[in-house]
Amino acid sequence: MRNRSTFIVAGLLVVAAVVYLIISSTGTTAQYFLTVAELRAMGEQAYERNVTVSGAVLGETISYDAMRPQVTFTIVQVPADPDEVEAAGGLAQVLHDATLDASRPRLEVVYDSVKPDLLTNEAQAIVRGKLREDGRFLADELLLKCPSRYEDAIPEQTGD
Amino acid sequence: MISEIGQNLVGLSLILSLYCAVAAYWGIRRRDDRWALSAQRGMIALAGLLGAALLLLLLAFLTDDFAVRYVAQHSATFIPVYLKISAVWAGQEGSLLLWCAMQALFAALATARPSEKARPLVPWATVFLSLITAFFVAVTALLSNPFVPSGVALTQGQGLNPLLRHPGMIFHPPALYVGYVGLAVPFAFAMGALVTRKLEDWTAAMRTWTLVAWLGLGVGLLLGMRWAYDVLGWGGYWGWDPVENAGLLPWFTATALVHGAVMQEERRGFQVWNVLLAVFSFALVLFGTFATRSGMIQSVHAYAQSDLGSYFLSAIAVTLIGSFALLLSRRKVLASPANLETLLSRDGMFFLTLVVLSLLAFSVFIGSVLPTITALGSATGLGSAGALASRRFEAGPAWFDRVTGPQFGLLVLLIGVCPLLGRATAALSRLKARAWLLVVGALGVPLVLAAAGLTQAVSLVGFSVVGLAGVVTVGEIADGAAARSRRTREAPLNALWHLIRLQRRKYGGYLVHVGVVLMAIGVIGTRLYPFEVQQTLQVGQPYEVGRYTLVYEELRQEFVDDHSRNYATISVYVNGEPVAVLEPRLDRYSGTDQSLNIPAVRPMVREDLYLILAGWSDDGAMATVKIVINSLVNFLWLGGLVFLAGGALALWPSMQSRTMSVVAAVVGLSLLAGSAWAMWGASHGMASNEGGRPLAGQEAPDFRLALLDGGTVSLKQLRGQVVLVNFWASWCPPCQEEMPALQATWEEFSDRGVSYIGIAYQDERASIDETVAAFGTTYPVGVDAGDSIASLYGITGVPETFIVDQDGRVAYVHIGPVSADLVRSELSALLASVDN
Repeated sequence: MRNRSTFIVAGLLVVAAVVYLIISSTGTTAQYFLTVAELRAMGEQAYERNVTVSGAVLGETISYDAMRPQVTFTIVQVPADPDEVEAAGGLAQVLHDATLDASRPRLEVVYDSVKPDLLTNEAQAIVRGKLREDGRFLADELLLKCPSRYEDAIPEQTGD
Repeated sequence: MISEIGQNLVGLSLILSLYCAVAAYWGIRRRDDRWALSAQRGMIALAGLLGAALLLLLLAFLTDDFAVRYVAQHSATFIPVYLKISAVWAGQEGSLLLWCAMQALFAALATARPSEKARPLVPWATVFLSLITAFFVAVTALLSNPFVPSGVALTQGQGLNPLLRHPGMIFHPPALYVGYVGLAVPFAFAMGALVTRKLEDWTAAMRTWTLVAWLGLGVGLLLGMRWAYDVLGWGGYWGWDPVENAGLLPWFTATALVHGAVMQEERRGFQVWNVLLAVFSFALVLFGTFATRSGMIQSVHAYAQSDLGSYFLSAIAVTLIGSFALLLSRRKVLASPANLETLLSRDGMFFLTLVVLSLLAFSVFIGSVLPTITALGSATGLGSAGALASRRFEAGPAWFDRVTGPQFGLLVLLIGVCPLLGRATAALSRLKARAWLLVVGALGVPLVLAAAGLTQAVSLVGFSVVGLAGVVTVGEIADGAAARSRRTREAPLNALWHLIRLQRRKYGGYLVHVGVVLMAIGVIGTRLYPFEVQQTLQVGQPYEVGRYTLVYEELRQEFVDDHSRNYATISVYVNGEPVAVLEPRLDRYSGTDQSLNIPAVRPMVREDLYLILAGWSDDGAMATVKIVINSLVNFLWLGGLVFLAGGALALWPSMQSRTMSVVAAVVGLSLLAGSAWAMWGASHGMASNEGGRPLAGQEAPDFRLALLDGGTVSLKQLRGQVVLVNFWASWCPPCQEEMPALQATWEEFSDRGVSYIGIAYQDERASIDETVAAFGTTYPVGVDAGDSIASLYGITGVPETFIVDQDGRVAYVHIGPVSADLVRSELSALLASVDN
């Protein structure tokens, strides 16, 4: 019936428009989502490319210049594969181990903004920005997940 | 002891919920009402048991029972009572228990006294609802139990996460849970409808439940946005975080279901679609908890990772596979869409609305899981060795804005166009009659906002659509009142009141649409005109940003419980006039090394001025602040209130008594007024608004001062001279530091057209005389009676020095002691400029 086909055509047009929006946005604005090791593995290709990197924050490296403001800190490689994380004992354990393991790849991050409330040792940091040629990562955005102080994943952190 | 009782209660609940499912099923199989009755009673008992467990946990918090590990992890003795209550759902285990209790309660309510249309569906709905409850109770009891004992004797707990110490914590999760838990009910009844092949009336039967869940979810989301804005101190209200999206996704499908239900009631169409929407709403709710609790999706909101993830994924799989299988098996019963009009009609607009809402849900879902999908893609063989180690993509806020922006715009357009098209086929005449109104709306709003400075092309298009939709919706309301008023010969306002009372769903809907339109203005303003800057401010130095001038006055510190509160006092001026004093705050927690940013906000119609304290120098002479200007953001909050009012109106039960209606209206309006006050009336870091310090370039306020020697002096008298006005006090050490410098420079400049006036602030005659004598001060000094001159000049402390030029304008302001060189250079500069 003519009515039904108009509906279907209109619906399909809208669907097509949205699908186009999704694909084109993924192409232009989506970013690579990497671990520290993967970023290093990219070698020179990584420079000046918009990427998102995640890692565990090393508390002792956090340095904050409140006047500029600018925060610098180092993040350590944390595996992204959920199965690997699961096998290693959960995300909290993985973050903890990462900060103690001196052999894992590290990345120095520079963030020109107010020091976020959640930036502490063993926090999981997700930084969006670019890797500079000098090896430091200039972050435009910084997302943090609070360390699992409030969960029982790490027994020795509770009960004191 | 509480641990044991609690664990027993939860264990019993698990058994009981399984029993209810079995009993309900048996009642259907055997066609035996006794089993059905037993199941129903069981549901009520289940709600009671889980409610008791929840109350027990609450008791544990209120009595500081740290023997329960969950209490020890989330509370401490010094936490205020209202926060201890909300701490019940602050963590994984407690929030799951809250979910279970609410699930059982809703299940009992939904099946207890069913309406005519719902009755045939109740037996199967009971089965499904008790199975759902059993699932959540099982997860709570076996995997995430809040009643696990601490194992060691504890006298103090870890305290509540500082970010959660806010009144929003009381309302935000429960409101969200009303939505999440509530959406299980339409799902269960839809499944019941499929099984019993009675598909016409389930949406009508579920009307109230769907609306309640939809409204709860909407309120929860709005509260979350306001909370983020008030407390998290980043200047925004929505980050497109996957967990935020997890709350938004079921809200899209629930909105679609609300609209689809209208179509099903009126036209008997959209049957398949509505069933699918109910299924997806529930599945997305499960997905939401999965996202929040499993750690699989990167987010700042999520609870730390646990093994719950796989169980929730299985639940989602079971739900989807089961419902699709059921849907397929009943496909012959599902009516084809009957007699829908052409596209350009109300039916067509509803169709498009459902399409857009479903696509919005789809888009946001894709964006949230993009890293996971693309990771899977690369893992299964697309990954090439070498350069690009992993093709995992992530969708940031830019992606979401770009993808969802046009879709939201289309939705707002539909709000505007739908009422114009009416029920019949494209009623062009109706459109023509409204043409002038449409033009006013579509052009008026963008013009007004462009005049206010918002001139980006995309935003103007958005404002135009918003204007159209707003004008049409308000027009519909006005039309209805006018028509009734003509018919019944009542005054228009009376007519409106009656219409609102009698056609609550329709007018509630209009009100909700108005709310959405207002919120759209706020979203366009904040998204398209972002403004953010960071600056280190020196004490007393004005800094210009946008239309404002900011002056940093001082830093002060307080020590409370386990943290220190640091406030920066900042005076705000517009066009030289003092308008506010803002105090952004930074809390530092010594124990956990955490800090908390609490912004200071000055709300206005045009925009919000939003200040965040980033840091300060040790001596307090400098402070770094982040300054955010959020254009039109208060339309977002206003729209949210209107949205809430509309939803409440739509849900309101019919009230026969006129008095009761009035009482209800008054209560409702007071609640709204209370919320409005909480947002705009209560101070958000704004100190008292009395006059501030005049800025350089402003006219120096005139005053009259009684001098020590008995004479008086007024500033106006001294017009034509350069006047140095110094506020000081004898009890103030820095003032004493500067007195020699002042006397020395006075002696140098006194015959060059310069006058000095010393004003003693909050001081005693005797000490003043003593100090003046001690330093040999010869320039005029007086006492500021009642601090009147000090208030005129916005003094916040002493010493402060103002140098006024020959025209009576403030040329220089100095906070703190002055040095002789400083005074000399300033005075010389002013005197030299006259000679030119």
